[in-house]
Parts: sequence; structure tokens; C-alpha cells
Amino acid sequence: MLVAVLALAAVATMGLASCGSDSDSSGKEGGTLNGTYASFPDYLDPALSYTQEGWTAMQNVYIPLLTYAHANGAAGGEVIPGLAKSLPQISDDRKTYTLNLRPGLKYSDGRPVKASDFTYAVERLFKVNSGGSPFYTGIVGAEKFAETKNGGIPGIEADDKTGEIVIHLTKPRGTFTNELGLMFVAPIPQDTPDTNQSTNPPPATGPYAIVKSDPGKGWSYERNPYWEKANSKAMPDLPSGHMDKIAITIVRNPSTQVNNVEQGKTDWMQTVPPPDRYPEVKSKYEGTQFRVEPTISIYYFWMNTNKPPFDDPEVRQAVNYAVDPAALERIYVGTLKGTQQILPVGMPGYKKFELYPHDLAKAKAMIKAAAPKDMDVTVWGDNESENEAAIVYYNDVLEQLGFNTTLKVIGADNYFTVIGNQSTPELDTGWSNWFQDYPHPNDFFQPMLSGESILPTNNGNFAEIDVPAFNEEITRLGEEEFGPEQEAAYATLDREYMEEAPWAPYGNRTVSTFVSDAIDFDKVIFNPTFGQDLTSFQFK
Amino acid sequence: MSSERHGPWSLAYRRLRRNRLALASLALFVLIVAFVLAAPLWADHVAHTGPNATHTTEKIVVDGETREVVDVEGKPIGPVWFGAGGEFFLGADSGLGRDEMVRLMYGGRTSLMIGLSSALITTLLATALGLLAGYFGGRTDSIISRTLDLIWSFPVVLLGIALGTALAVGGLKIGPLEVEGNSLWIPILIIAVVMTPYMARPIRGEVLALRQKEFVEAAVAQGAGSLRIMFAELLPNLWSTVIVFFTLNIANNMLLESALSYLGAGVQPPNSSWGKMVSTGVELIYTAPILAFAPGLMILLTVLSLNVFGDGLRSALDPKSKLRLEAHTGTVEPAGTAV
Repeated sequence: MLVAVLALAAVATMGLASCGSDSDSSGKEGGTLNGTYASFPDYLDPALSYTQEGWTAMQNVYIPLLTYAHANGAAGGEVIPGLAKSLPQISDDRKTYTLNLRPGLKYSDGRPVKASDFTYAVERLFKVNSGGSPFYTGIVGAEKFAETKNGGIPGIEADDKTGEIVIHLTKPRGTFTNELGLMFVAPIPQDTPDTNQSTNPPPATGPYAIVKSDPGKGWSYERNPYWEKANSKAMPDLPSGHMDKIAITIVRNPSTQVNNVEQGKTDWMQTVPPPDRYPEVKSKYEGTQFRVEPTISIYYFWMNTNKPPFDDPEVRQAVNYAVDPAALERIYVGTLKGTQQILPVGMPGYKKFELYPHDLAKAKAMIKAAAPKDMDVTVWGDNESENEAAIVYYNDVLEQLGFNTTLKVIGADNYFTVIGNQSTPELDTGWSNWFQDYPHPNDFFQPMLSGESILPTNNGNFAEIDVPAFNEEITRLGEEEFGPEQEAAYATLDREYMEEAPWAPYGNRTVSTFVSDAIDFDKVIFNPTFGQDLTSFQFK
Repeated sequence: MSSERHGPWSLAYRRLRRNRLALASLALFVLIVAFVLAAPLWADHVAHTGPNATHTTEKIVVDGETREVVDVEGKPIGPVWFGAGGEFFLGADSGLGRDEMVRLMYGGRTSLMIGLSSALITTLLATALGLLAGYFGGRTDSIISRTLDLIWSFPVVLLGIALGTALAVGGLKIGPLEVEGNSLWIPILIIAVVMTPYMARPIRGEVLALRQKEFVEAAVAQGAGSLRIMFAELLPNLWSTVIVFFTLNIANNMLLESALSYLGAGVQPPNSSWGKMVSTGVELIYTAPILAFAPGLMILLTVLSLNVFGDGLRSALDPKSKLRLEAHTGTVEPAGTAV
């Protein structure tokens, strides 16, 4: 028997659902949205981009079979049909997903969208060694294809005549519906080269097409001519957008970006105002042009549970008592909300608790009682402004606890490569963060805390925690469809991990939306996964 | 007074004493050195905190009023001068709430130490290489000159950033020489190496000219060996150039250190240097301009004092230069005072 999937975030009812732009006809239609980024996104290629900046830029260009609701807050975590007619039908053994392409879909160059374009998109993902490819290695034959890069992926059956797509998984994967909603696997024409296409992005299926891309300077969009003619009729539940054109310029100085928005020279800045200007912008424009936007993220200090002195849980717990999230909120100049748990606010399964209220004296006493033999620790961090300040703070906290620290701050570009390589010496403790890939709590346990995530290179489990009972629970929950029972189990897992204290979590990051006076501010949508929704911008 | 009664060093000293601007610059530099050497005294007895101690959530009493070192929006307290008994004299440095004055003093020690140490290494390396290349010529000159050209062909700051970034992680290990990635010796060695060609090439040129002089030919005729000619005959004639270069190297190397630290490839946190402090301060340039202004001013004064003093030293040691300099002002030094 086949069953329809209930999207994960359907359990959440918070947030301002604002699906579809045609629901509110007030405001101007047309015009050019001028926006600024501080730097060019990692890629303007749907298979390769793995940053919110890139996903903001391409959310309304490349539509996957499934997509996420165009809504603020938790409502934006709801998976809805994209190019597919409906949510997938899943077999009883939860290993076969069946979807059907909507009829009449076209790319922005006029060619029809075919079912086999999905197969091509998945294969291309492996050919270009995308960071998103691990989400899809559970498809039958995908792992072999990842190695050989030829022969096709037998686990995907696509029928161009009927538009049916059947995906076979090697084992159940409770997160797969969410993963089908990521633009990594958005169908693209099969003649798209299997190299980075950031300078010549493939044709679009969404309301906007990228017509010019100049890395380092900016990129621009125009309306997809086949959206109005074909795709919007096939996907009436997706928004068409208000602007005729969108031009994004790279302005490296965020303070200049603030000035430009204030003076109406640009309509929107994607970047968060710099620490120097943040309080001023917030106090002057909050509610009218400025809004703090929560992200589903966690910032934390990891401690290597395999090596002294952090192999002792009491030492790790002491560090948790010593780290003060309130101090880190100040260090991040209001762009961080303190926390002491793994699951972030807004993630299903989040249930607030505070196991380690800040108490430096208690922390010192615990260290004294634990009396670790090795007090020499190397502390790792990256050199991005606030993160560097955070690791300097953490280094000072460890010194106050009596550790002899060596601080290593390295470039943000290769930080995770260095600390993810187990041959790097002295990986004792350090800084890290994680932003959700999709709104499923498994995304915060499997990649960073399960034993199987401990890898020689590209390691994501920096604490190297490997507790068999926790591993089994992560695997079990990851295979099940998400529901209230799983949500409660993830909340319990969150607490159990924090009792082991492999991390000292300290905050959930916030970003912001800042627009000029000309923009209808209340209509601007911030999706927790994709950031600002470009279809929601409208001139007053 | 007739110049014939005095040796060249005595003459140079007398000329230097007459240059009040150079002496004032020297005095300023000495004051700056004294200021940074007093860092531990200020930290222990006035500020009661170290350069890297954070005070993010702490409060202090300023003129009877309790104030937060860093407010809830992350803005650090500004200069309170002696309102808190000298604590946070120049305010706090950032959301970390470190004492800016203490960091300024300790940062100066770092900047000066890097400037002096790297200038010393640069001077030693450049003098040795310049002597070898200029004296032996031929293949030795070709190898040394092409190597220097290779370093010279890279933009200094870019080369410094590349080396600084690469060495910050794994440190440096050449045979028995092992330096940790976060050691101050990393920026010192990088700066020393990348600045060497700028001094070695002129030294080589001067040695090439000196080698043709009669006193060198006389030494050769007397059977003097190469080492003796280089160190006993040529080097004494290079001293004035070397000394002037050394003072200017300190200033140039400090500037390079500031640039590298500003760009994140120099001094590593939590240590401070003036360049690093400017980098941190620039992020708060609108709300707390003193955080960038204070270390920036210290860099300016130090470099200016060294450059003006170096120029005075050159005038004193090199009368041709003095002649040219004073010709512009209408005063011409009598001939026959060449050192």
C-alpha cells in the first residue's frame, strides 16, 4: 500500500504563512529590485551551492520536484509540491518514492521539462562532487555511481512520456522528502555541462531566470518568459513575484550597503548590518524597514571526547558551566540568542532546558575535583570577525579554568577542512557552527554527533563522540517518518547528549532583513532555509 | 673646526647633534619604547588586568556611577580616563571587553619587537648576501641575485599574506628550526625574508663599486683572503649604509606587520599588535573611533620618528646626501668631508 507523506513541518503552526503573491493585489507590480550582497555566493549553480546566500539567489530560479512553502518562520519548513504534481507516494517498506511531473512545464529557453531531467540532475550532482551529494547516496546504485561516475543510477526510473519518477532507496530514510525539496536535485536540461555553471547558469523553471552573472561584481534576473506562458499555470500555488527585473550588486563594505539602503540607492541588503551600525539601524528602522530574522542554527564549542582532558565528562560539564551565553550574545552584537542545547529554537523537537546555568566558581571547583592530568589544550577557531572574538573569549574561559591554552585561529575558507582532518595534530577543542539543511532534527544529530560521522577527512563529528545507544537511536529515528513520537524522542536525545556534554552550545544566530522605504516591508518573506524570498519583494 | 682633526664617526655624530629634528624624532622614539616597556607596570598596578583578559559581562564604577564594560547591544565602554582609577583608561576594545590601554601598550611591544627583530634579521641577511654577490660576482652573484629577484617579483603584502596564512596552521619546520604557527617568530621571519631584497640589492651595488677601489686592490696584492677583504675592508665602508637601512627597515617592517596583521596574516589572536588593533577597531569606526585611531596614531608616530631619525642619520653619515639636501636650501657643505 502506498501512503502520502505528511510534510514534517505540517506539525508546526507558528509563523506567518504567506503563500502566493497573488493573494494580496495591493502595491505596485513591476520595476527593478536593486539588492546588494557583501560577496558573490559560493556558486550560482543549483547542484553546487551549499550556502544560504546561494539558495536565496536561486530559490525562485530552480524549482525541485518538491519545494518549501514561501512563508516566514516554521510555516516555511512545510514541504509542498514543486515540479511534481503532489507529495510523493511512499511504499509500505518506505524504500520507494513515486512522483509525477506536472504536465506542460518548460524551461526559460522554451524546452520542455522531462522526467529524466531529474535523473540527470542527480547524476550531475555526483559528477561535480557536490557537497549535497551525500543526501542522495541512499538511492539504489548511487554510491557506485559516485565512484565510477558512469553507468547511470538504476534506483531512479523516469518515464518521459508519463512524467512518472520512481526512486528506490537502499533503506528507509525519514528525511528523504525534505531532501527532495533541496535545489541540489532541481531538474535542469540534460545538455548542462557537468562543471560549475556559475558564470552561465542553466535555464530556469521558476518565475525568474538569471540572465547575467559576473562573479565578483553581481548578477541579474529577468522574468522567465515561460513562467507566465506555461509554468505558473502548471504550478498555480507557487508565487510569480512582483518585480520585472532584479539586479544584485556586490558591495563589499556592509556599512556602504547600509548607507545605500538608507538613502534609497538600493532596495535591499542581503548582508546583516555591521556591528558598528547594527544597534543604530535596529533602533531606527525596526518594524518599518528592519527585522531580526531567526535562523535554525547552532553555534558551539566542541570538545574532543577521545583525548584528555576532555575525555572526562565532568571536565566537559565544567566547561559548559563556565561558558556564558549572555557574554557571547554581547560579543555577537545582538545577532545571537543564547542557548545551551543542541536543537535550535524553531526546530521540531526543540524543548528548552538549561543544564548548565553559568557558574564559573562551580566550574573551577569541578575542574579541581576532576584533576585532569593533561591541562595543555589547543583551541581552534576561524578568523571571521565575531567567530574569532568568540574563540578568543572561549580561550580566556579555559585559561580561567586553569588550562594552558594554545590558540590557533585560521582562515575561514579552509577552517573546516583543517579541523575535519583527523591527521591535524592537537584537535582538542574549538569552535563550530551548523545551519539546518532542512527542518528535520536528524540534521542536527546525524552529521555531527553520530559515531558513523567520525571520518578521517571531512569529519563532521569534531567532538568524536561515539555512544552506541545514541547512534542506534539516531539511526532508528532517521529511518522513521516524522511524527509527534519522533519529535519527543529527539527532544530526549537532545537532553541526553547534553548530559554527556560533548559540546558547549552557546547560541542560535539571527540575521536580518533591511529594505529601503520604497519596499512594502510587511510583505517580505524570510524563509528559515532559503532566506529572503525574492518573489515577495514589492514596491509600495 | 677643521674636519681633518676628526674621524668620520665623530664628524657624523657632530652633524647629527646639529640636526634638531632628527634628535627630536629620536627622543620621541625613545618615549614610545619607554611607553610600551611600561606595559606590565600599568597592567598590574593601574588597570589590574592583562591584555587578553575578557570582561564582557562585568561592571565598573566610573566617577561613582556603575557602568557595564560592554552593554547588552555589544557596544564597548568608551574612554573613562581616570574615572575608574585608570582601569579602562581608553575604554574597552570590543564586545570582549578587554582594556584598550593595556592592549595598546602590549600591542606596541609586539609591533616594536617584530619591527626590530625582523629589521635585524633583514639587515644581517641582506648585508651577507649583498657582500657575497657583490664581491664574488659571476655564478654566485647570479644565483643570489636571481633568488632575490624571485622574492622581489611578488608584491610584498601578497607574499606576506600567502606565507602568513600557510604557516599559521602548521608552523615552520626547517631542519632543527621549528616554529609554532601562532608564534611571533612567524611574522618576524616572513617580514625579514620578504624585505631582504630591498636592502640586499643596493648593498650589492655598493660592494660592486667598492671592489674596484684601490684599497681593495692593495689588500689583494698583500695576499688578503676573501673573508678578510669582505669583513675587514669592505664591511667598514658599508656601515653607514647598513645603519641607515636598519633604522628605515624597522619602520618599513612595522608597517608591513601592521598591514599583515590588519589582513589577518600577521600576529595571531589573542595577542595584540597595533596593526591587529586597527583591524579590530575599524569594525567600530563609527561608534568608537578611538579603537582604530589610538593604535593608528602610535604606528604613525613610531614610523615617522624612525623615518625622520633615519633620514637625519643618513645626512650625518653621508655628506653627499647632505650636500644634495642642503643645496636645496642654498647652503652647501664644504668639500673634503667625505666619510
